Amino acid sequence: MGDKLNFAFYWTAGCGGCEVATLDIDEKILDVAELANIVLWPIAMDFKYEDIENMDDDNIDVSFINGAIRNTEQREIAELLREKSKVVVAFGACACHGGIPSLGNFHNKDEIFQEAYVDTISTNNPDNNLPTPKTEVAEGELTIPEFFDTVYKLDDLIEVEYYLPGCPPSTDLIIKAVEAIANDNLPPVGSVIASKKTVCDECDREKKEKKVKEFRRPYEVDVDPELCLLEQGIICCGSATTGGCGANCPTVNMPCRGCYGPTSEVADQGAKLLSAVASVIDSDDQEEIAKIAKDILDPGGTFYRFGMSNSLLKRKKLG
Amino acid sequence: MTESKEFEPNIVGFLCNWCSYAGADLAGISRIKYPSNIKIIRVMCSGRVEPSHILKAFKEGADGILVSG
Repeated sequence: MGDKLNFAFYWTAGCGGCEVATLDIDEKILDVAELANIVLWPIAMDFKYEDIENMDDDNIDVSFINGAIRNTEQREIAELLREKSKVVVAFGACACHGGIPSLGNFHNKDEIFQEAYVDTISTNNPDNNLPTPKTEVAEGELTIPEFFDTVYKLDDLIEVEYYLPGCPPSTDLIIKAVEAIANDNLPPVGSVIASKKTVCDECDREKKEKKVKEFRRPYEVDVDPELCLLEQGIICCGSATTGGCGANCPTVNMPCRGCYGPTSEVADQGAKLLSAVASVIDSDDQEEIAKIAKDILDPGGTFYRFGMSNSLLKRKKLG
Repeated sequence: MTESKEFEPNIVGFLCNWCSYAGADLAGISRIKYPSNIKIIRVMCSGRVEPSHILKAFKEGADGILVSG
């Protein structure tokens, strides 16, 4: 053990892409192994929650938690790791802003259960059985974690020192974070480890005047590889999104989806995007404007794709 | 002081400096009374009002928003 640091990695409501991104740092993972003992990493190594429970407080130097919080188990482990860790890093879009799971905040628990366990075509559930936290069986009582109505970002429930946004965070930023930890050169608490500017700032596409008569999806357009995507009528979230990713998506003709979240100057990413998109519509005629705006499929899901938990809206009204 | 139990809405008004704010100002100068439910925020143009301003106002407790200009 010696003077190595202790790291924990944990995965809550997320897709697992962040875990893959951690391994995507390639041979640098050996530096991580050199630097730290891993004390919890359920996807890769066999530790039990008990091992963590038996630790003294602040025994873990850094916990990297990826995923949003949407059930009691995730909340319990997040709180446990907080208690045992000196530093907690919200790793990835879900932990930072709610991510894709937070789109569930446009619905509630009942609607989600109905869709997932009853209405989907591939579901065969004639008795309408739905997950229940407690079930009596002959051998006793079985329990599963309780599902929340609302998806929370990590800092809604526990204190978080650093944010590493992205879906997933770019390997460059992960390496930057690990090196900062290794060299004891961490930024001020509360820092977002990414750029301070927007994705547009890193995007090499030519930006001229934005005048859009029609919004289209990337597959409907023969994309001009040089010109700003928004000017081509493709909804690109770059203008309201924190950079740091190197504008990877626009570089390969795909619009920015907004995974790095809002910049520090923006209160609500979706509202800012709405504002940006509304201002490029090239028409003075109310009816034509309404028609152009109709081209935008699923505006809620487009403008708040990665950040419902972080938005001013937070969620659909309950009850 | 009698306490009114009737619902009193809390309204935030974003008013354009050049027209509606001038109008509100003129109402004041002319000593025309209007209810105190409205909290006026002067903007240099109603085009300056962003969706996030409106969401923020609702979040801070506004019951209604007036954008005028």
